[in-house]
Amino acid sequence: MSLIPFRTKRSGGMETGSMATLADFRNEMNRLFEGFFSRPLTTSSWFDTIEPGQWLPTVDMSENDTQIHVRAELPGIDPKDVDVSVSEDRLVICGEKKSTAESSGEGWSHRESQYGSFSRAIPLPESVDPAQVTARYDKGVLTVELTKSPSSAARKVPVLTK
Amino acid sequence: MTSQTQINGPARTDRPCRRPEPSLTYQPNVDILDHGAEVLFVADIPGARADGIDVTFEDGVLAVQAAVPPRELPGRPLRQEYGVGDYRRSFRLGDGFDPARISADYRRGVLTVRVPRLAAVLPRKVEVRTA
Repeated sequence: MSLIPFRTKRSGGMETGSMATLADFRNEMNRLFEGFFSRPLTTSSWFDTIEPGQWLPTVDMSENDTQIHVRAELPGIDPKDVDVSVSEDRLVICGEKKSTAESSGEGWSHRESQYGSFSRAIPLPESVDPAQVTARYDKGVLTVELTKSPSSAARKVPVLTK
Repeated sequence: MTSQTQINGPARTDRPCRRPEPSLTYQPNVDILDHGAEVLFVADIPGARADGIDVTFEDGVLAVQAAVPPRELPGRPLRQEYGVGDYRRSFRLGDGFDPARISADYRRGVLTVRVPRLAAVLPRKVEVRTA
């Protein structure tokens, strides 16, 4: 019984067998720490719960006077497998990243990408018009453009003087 | 008497002094799949420009580099959960691979590099002749 598996000749320096789980653990810890230090503490992403078997895509959000832009990194996804839905105060992006036939075939593998279903509900800072939303997917990035509803546009209040 | 050799020459005043822009480099997630006759490297590089991707194989090292245009945020940023920067990662493969037949394709933000093994190192089935 060997506690530490020998590296096979073909591994060429990559982990294999039970050592792969150690690499997974290390990568996960790296990712956790990177996420801790890179995310601004004021986001509500801390409250996103992750179901086992799920992963969360990271998003960018920006706004100007009339629009809100949301970008999510979703490499390797078939646009048909993504659902984007909008209500007045939140944007929900969910879908599934399926393994391709190649990546699920036989052969020793070292996997770092996350596969499976994902779902993110992003609260929006202002209410938007659900009818005026566009989404496009290019080079692995999903960009959603939302138009703010006119009622939420700031109205200048004239100051009356006697 | 001291003599000073000017190594760089007199200071140039015709060129504006330009500092290199600071940028971060990221290591992309890569899935490695061994299919026997070839090894696949599947790298997640969303947002990379197709013409800015560089894949080289030299001295047994496969190196991937991809240029990513800077983040263009229309308006005021509200949330930034991911960094934007160039991707760079390399792998030491060693001998037994055929650099002439390496191919790569980029689709939906995923770069797939196929590195075939040399025919000489593939297991060869030996036919047994019976009398």
